[in-house]
Amino acid sequence: MTSRHLLCGLLALTLFSTVAAGKAGRHNDAAPVPVQHSMTDDDVRVEGEKRFQANCGRCHQSPHKFPPRMMLTIERHMRVRALTTDEDMRLIVRYLNQ
Amino acid sequence: MPIVMPVVLVPLGERWLVEARGEFKGEFEKPAGSGSFHGPVEKELDYAELDFIANSRVTVTVGRFLTPFGIYNERLYPVWIRSLQPVPTIFPIGTGSGNGVMLRGGVPASSKANVNYAVYFSTNSTINKLESDRLAGGRVGVFFPRQRIEIGASFQQLLQEGRYRSAGFHFAWQPVAAPLNLRSEFAWSGEQGRGYWIEGAYRLSQISKWQKVMRHTEAVARMQQFFAGGITAGTAADYGLPTVNAEELDLGGNYYFRDGFKATASYGREFSSFGNFNRWTIGTAYRFAFPLGRL
Repeated sequence: MTSRHLLCGLLALTLFSTVAAGKAGRHNDAAPVPVQHSMTDDDVRVEGEKRFQANCGRCHQSPHKFPPRMMLTIERHMRVRALTTDEDMRLIVRYLNQ
Repeated sequence: MPIVMPVVLVPLGERWLVEARGEFKGEFEKPAGSGSFHGPVEKELDYAELDFIANSRVTVTVGRFLTPFGIYNERLYPVWIRSLQPVPTIFPIGTGSGNGVMLRGGVPASSKANVNYAVYFSTNSTINKLESDRLAGGRVGVFFPRQRIEIGASFQQLLQEGRYRSAGFHFAWQPVAAPLNLRSEFAWSGEQGRGYWIEGAYRLSQISKWQKVMRHTEAVARMQQFFAGGITAGTAADYGLPTVNAEELDLGGNYYFRDGFKATASYGREFSSFGNFNRWTIGTAYRFAFPLGRL
């Protein structure tokens, strides 16, 4: 294989991801909602799970339960390591501590 | 070949974190005529850093850190996370550890995209177990949470010896509709060569038969190519890179007993002008966490 094949492969991958992004973007059920302090436990569970799957699920399996103190340490570690946004992390921690 | 990777996390106050990870890798063999296994144990300090979360957009890191180049080094390297135990061929390009300072963070750019970034400077060090090059670089990624797609790019400038540049691109996609994890990286170095890998990991949970087993099982495939640079065989060996162009196909499977505990196996076939080789891997990975105390 040559660099031409490599270039074709990368172009195909980019095209594929763009098309996939367009199709998946039509699913409103996957859209994140802004964090509101008035969110009920059910809202937190649904939104937190969604954000866990989108962020943490890229490397980790289903949520592992840790005591809340450990969870805060792990949250800080993952925020630095995985560059998760502040809002995502707050919802994920609330969800995991439920 | 046992690998132990202890990670220590010490939160200080509301905004500080001390974190460190070591790596102990033993390669034990039973010599002919001997009844027991012997071999060297490789010891590394992957990172030992102090993080200060300045605000929701910036974290300042000082100390020894994992070089943020691509996604494998920082996110996928731990044995309990990676889908295939052999690391990609291009892994040595731009990665490793640096000693210096880094700014990083994740910022929501809009309701549809988050931007993450890291910029760093590392100084030269020849201290045993704390080796690093004098270099500077950065990585930027855009994550689309609805589509679960991340696209990013990395750049690195060596500030010593040959002053070589490295650049890379990464892509990750976890479709909502299927339990699939697709990842890819491309890396180019003015010194070491260039290459790419594409990996797909598919959780068999959509198969209706034997659900109890299938939902814990993952099938993985990775193909990769490497185009050797103009370095000598000795230098390439020091970096852990092939000296000639190479292609490899890996097929494997993981069985997750739970998060952090899995059995893993893979078969790989490498093709190069040096000859074609098989590579078999079988093992288990277990990650556990416990509190050291209260600060």
